[in-house]
Amino acid sequence: MIENYVILPCNGLDKCAGVISGELAIKLSENASNEIICPVFYRVAGAKYNKIASEHPLLVIDGCQTRCASKLAAEKNLKISKKLTITEEAKNHNIELKRNLRLLENENALIEIILNGLINTDDKITPFSDETKFVYNFEYATFQKDKFIFRVPKNPEVYFNENDCWAYVIGNRARIGVTDFVQQNLSDILYFTPPDIGAEIDQFGEVGEIESSKSIFDLISPVSGKVVSINNTLEQKPELINENPYESGWIAELELNDFESDKELLIGFNKYFEIMKKKVEDFNV
Amino acid sequence: MSKSSFMGVERNKIDWKPTIDYSRCDYCMECTKFCPHKVFEVKENEEIQLIVRNPDNCVVFCRACSKICGPDALSFPDKNATTQRIKEIRKELAGND
Repeated sequence: MIENYVILPCNGLDKCAGVISGELAIKLSENASNEIICPVFYRVAGAKYNKIASEHPLLVIDGCQTRCASKLAAEKNLKISKKLTITEEAKNHNIELKRNLRLLENENALIEIILNGLINTDDKITPFSDETKFVYNFEYATFQKDKFIFRVPKNPEVYFNENDCWAYVIGNRARIGVTDFVQQNLSDILYFTPPDIGAEIDQFGEVGEIESSKSIFDLISPVSGKVVSINNTLEQKPELINENPYESGWIAELELNDFESDKELLIGFNKYFEIMKKKVEDFNV
Repeated sequence: MSKSSFMGVERNKIDWKPTIDYSRCDYCMECTKFCPHKVFEVKENEEIQLIVRNPDNCVVFCRACSKICGPDALSFPDKNATTQRIKEIRKELAGND
């Protein structure tokens, strides 16, 4: 249940998704002591909202992928507890949004669906998690450019794809996450969208999203399998991905489908370290 | 292997790039600001103001620009078909060795 939250909605009054964001925020504020932050007023006079935003969990409602509300939260250094995007929700529920600015049947139906989801949110937050005990005895190789340090584990059980994600494989399970290259590029990570527990992920499928004030990164899974566990700590402490993306900042655990086949398109430490060094040299981190 | 390769396959043999739906694109240019790989090019003062200039710069399997596209105007090829094609090319290359 969304209760005692502050809600920062999109304020896109010229777009259907923006209007839905606003209406959803109003409905949530009518119940359960939730309070709305007006993004327009917040830009010109922050003091009123800084206090309540620091005292309560924050729900950000973006209208579309331009993510104005998320960007405002990042600008104001707010910690986001929950977040949703109206256009994504519409897609997920097969509801087509048009250009109308008045709420009609479709838009009201979507609002109801999202509200119901938020009311039952506790059930979703604590899914069954079947976590394996992964022992970390990683030995790291290090590469430095300017003040930025990039580490890569040398252990043979850790595999990489060229999309800068790793898989630490033990038996038929793998923990996955991002490499130092990703976290250094993103800079301070503010929000992590985990995959759903139980989701079947293809090799190179998306397995979550990491967001910083600077950018957004899709995690491209090195392996195929079923998500059996996610790193719940990241919900409150996404900065662990910056601190140690290989250990405390792991993302998810998968039960592997066909690792022998996946392995064909993965690389080990030696190759990835060379690729990463080249990427670091080519790009300004 | 040339510098432009992905998983041992020459990048220009892999079909992975964004396609712009001009009926949706509103030329906000967020994608050009977002993508560090210079995949897009802005054509100021022309009727079509945005094109995919460097498709081979696009990181295979990355769809991040479509995620930040407000009007949802960017699409990508089917990932599984691309994966399959990469595997086939790698087999061909192995066979030629």
